[in-house]
Amino acid sequence: MRYETVIGLEVHVELATDSKIFCSCANRSGDEQNTHVCPACCGMPGMLPVTNKRAVDLGMTAGMMLNCHINRTTTFDKKSYYYPDLPCSYQTTQWFSPVAVNGTVTIDAGNGPKDIRIKQIHMEEDAGKLVHDTLSNTTLVDFNRTSVPLIEIVSQPDLSSADEVVAYLERLRSLLRFAKVSECRMELGTMRCDVNLSVRPEGSDVLGVRTEMKNMNSISAIRRAIAYEVDRHIDAIENGTEVLVQETRRWDDEKGMSFAMRNKETAGDYRYFPDPNVMPIVIDDAWFNRIKDTLPPFPEVKKQQLIDAGLTEYDADLLTQSRVLCDCFDAAFAVSGLAKECANWIATNCLAVLKKNGQTMDDLALSGTRLGELVKLVGDGVVSNANAKKILDAMFEAEGADLDPKAYAEVNDMVISNDADAVMDVIRAIVAANQKDADDFRGGNEKAINPLFGKCMKELKGNCTPQQLREMLISYLVPSA
Amino acid sequence: MNKEVLIRLEKLNQLRLTDEQEAATLAFFDEREAEMTALDAIDTTDVVRMVHVMPLENVLREDVASQPFTREALQAGAPAAEDGYWQVPRTVD
Amino acid sequence: MSIYISKAQDVAGKAVALEDLVLTTALPTTGGSRMLEGYMSLFDAEVVGKLEAAGFGIAGKVNVGEFGFDVLGETSYFGTCADAEGNVVSATSALLAEGEVEAVVGLDVNGAQRRAAALSGQVCVKPTYGAVSRFGTIAVACSGETVCVSANSAEVAREVLAAIAGHDDKDGTSLPEARCALVAGESAPFERKKIALAQGLVSRADDATKAAIARFVEFAEAAGFAVEEVDDAVLEAARPAWNVLMSAELCNNVSRFDGVKYGYRSANAETIDDLYTNSRTEAFGEVLKTAILYGSEMLSEENYDKMYDKSLRVRRVVCERFAQIFAEYDAVLLPACLKAAYAPADFEADKFLCYKANDCTAPASITGLPAVVAGGVQLVGPAFSDAALLALAGQFETAKEVR
Repeated sequence: MRYETVIGLEVHVELATDSKIFCSCANRSGDEQNTHVCPACCGMPGMLPVTNKRAVDLGMTAGMMLNCHINRTTTFDKKSYYYPDLPCSYQTTQWFSPVAVNGTVTIDAGNGPKDIRIKQIHMEEDAGKLVHDTLSNTTLVDFNRTSVPLIEIVSQPDLSSADEVVAYLERLRSLLRFAKVSECRMELGTMRCDVNLSVRPEGSDVLGVRTEMKNMNSISAIRRAIAYEVDRHIDAIENGTEVLVQETRRWDDEKGMSFAMRNKETAGDYRYFPDPNVMPIVIDDAWFNRIKDTLPPFPEVKKQQLIDAGLTEYDADLLTQSRVLCDCFDAAFAVSGLAKECANWIATNCLAVLKKNGQTMDDLALSGTRLGELVKLVGDGVVSNANAKKILDAMFEAEGADLDPKAYAEVNDMVISNDADAVMDVIRAIVAANQKDADDFRGGNEKAINPLFGKCMKELKGNCTPQQLREMLISYLVPSA
Repeated sequence: MNKEVLIRLEKLNQLRLTDEQEAATLAFFDEREAEMTALDAIDTTDVVRMVHVMPLENVLREDVASQPFTREALQAGAPAAEDGYWQVPRTVD
Repeated sequence: MSIYISKAQDVAGKAVALEDLVLTTALPTTGGSRMLEGYMSLFDAEVVGKLEAAGFGIAGKVNVGEFGFDVLGETSYFGTCADAEGNVVSATSALLAEGEVEAVVGLDVNGAQRRAAALSGQVCVKPTYGAVSRFGTIAVACSGETVCVSANSAEVAREVLAAIAGHDDKDGTSLPEARCALVAGESAPFERKKIALAQGLVSRADDATKAAIARFVEFAEAAGFAVEEVDDAVLEAARPAWNVLMSAELCNNVSRFDGVKYGYRSANAETIDDLYTNSRTEAFGEVLKTAILYGSEMLSEENYDKMYDKSLRVRRVVCERFAQIFAEYDAVLLPACLKAAYAPADFEADKFLCYKANDCTAPASITGLPAVVAGGVQLVGPAFSDAALLALAGQFETAKEVR
């Protein structure tokens, strides 16, 4: 018997806001435990929720990027259960009227394009983090992540293989990163997913027993987990090794096995009801259009635009991994008109600095306009490549403060003078001291010019463009040329 | 409503009632149920539910972060805390 | 007698007390519950700052029933108060009777303050929903509860209400300043000169309560008002509907009290479930526990539509019925309590009286309409008629005195 796998995903994405969704604590991961907390996100009495507008903007943006219908009236509801990472013992989420519904995401897992239907996208608050202390047999609770804004993207069960799941996740990641909704970093938990999976005989239209694996946070683990679950389901169906039940399971990547989780509440036990403290959000045309107008093109559209502007496929691919890089390139290109050079400066020099500082592409805080000016200074022969790198370092060190590369070059004596008399003085002296090389060159050994050229460059300390030096040196050595 | 459902409700709400309290609570549920005839008498077929009594909308705040309270202050009344964490018995997944 | 749960050392300005559901940094806030015994808030309620800015000083924290939804405070962990005849009285009205404070600011969850005022002949105003910030009050039944003022006279109640009304960005249900100002302002008097009498509720009241209604009718007619009986069958549906909404919201709101972050934690907490269950079982009173279970059940998958959603729809029907009445009348006259007194034996016979004694308070609770209790009667008016209701109550007080 041949089987087919039916998979639906629930993907949680933390929104890239500065503050939490219902209180003003910072939305920042990686800091010391319980340093971004307040009475509200510690579950203390007396605080009332006030919704972060930016979170709604990003929820709408996500909906539009995934071709969803945006609900013009969207509301928040409360979901109740007890767990130490949930300080109020309820989570504020969207049950009755989520921000976006009925979308599609087109993926290509190697068999041509396939549409995956999106059931809905709802906004909600994240839970805190638990650390298990084996020594004292206690659990330690950190509320820094509590109330960080999330969207949950619920797909229809349209996925049929691990490859499609991975293609879908990568597509979501690309679209949401490009729209600056989230960094979508699975390794940091800003993108996590629950895998709902069932297996049925090929051609059957009856769904098999569905199990849910919670909080998967790496692509490779997801692949392994799906392979394991599919085998487990088929084994159960064919060999009766176990009775499949609808349940929530935890994937243990080290053991390479999934385990049934402790029986938590079933969906019917969550007691959803509309939150009386959060007023409805009504999205009028002005708001809708403000978000629509700021949507980026899809990454592949942008990539084609970059290729049309003269970039290599490789560079275009790299830049479209991050909207920040794209925006920087667009601004730099607009000022300089030098597409390849701008791409090269971003892909090579800028990323090298970011890497050195332990930052990601999205952390690039450089003014694209200023970078374009710098690239143009090099292109116009005003500043040498070596000095331009020093200026770039200074721009990074300015940490967001405006640094005019031209002014900086002038103040720091980095402008190439191209003073013909001074260049000629250097050429005369170097040639006089290296007659053998000069004679070899005149005798037809073209390579013999290289040591002369290098020595001149060194002596000139960048005060001449390579092109001009080369021309002057050749015409000095071979006047007739 | 019966005892079985009541016990499930107690579990769901992390409460434990004595036998006497359970009996009183079951009677309470019966009494409330009897009052529901007053609700049933009102035809609400085409009535839109009313969550908020005041018709406000779009009560939103700007996305600005602040940290007015220290961890020490927030944990001053904690029944158990360790190393800047709240502490509870070990949970199992 | 347990009037104060905690008391300030010095009081700067005109003394007002706060019910212990209003959070303060200077004094603990218990909500009348063992769960929060000694609980210190890190911030003051919005009304605290407003009172102080208006020259009032906080005298102390007044005992309340556990999380404020009972009849008269009889469920407090910290004991109850009785009057000379041995009847149960709320700590708030006992304190006002002593005359040491001008007013008590509390949270009207289920009408306890209005009942207390009616039983003691004091004044209580439950303002229009959203006109006074709920920031810093212990949330119980958010969709209908409001900060309220109890006082010995309508004039003082008006003065304190004017001090605490106002927009607050920290409360997402807070009305815009201009609307709040309507509540805090001078009275825009009633012009129709017509009052609707809720006949069904009045007919079920005891004789003393009926007599108070009769006194008001006599006063109103003398003051040029026509008082006419109206059908209040729909208003009577407010009670079961509010019982559902209040219990469900209460169940959810007090679920944060779990022994993890602050407050009471059971000594028997070997596992996380022991911690939760033992802490809540040991720290919560019996009436609260039953209310939680009832609220939880109203939100269950089976009951949500026919109980919770139905109650939300009935809320609109009640609002519409009031709107119909206000198209013709200035206000609705009804009792605040069908009984003129509660003896301890009443609560021994039925612990859960708060689900029945609220017939007359539920209509204003579920709709968010302003209500004023004075001279043993209750007036409910259209939104923002708070000042006019208080002015009329003030005239009633004066008329009684003259007579």
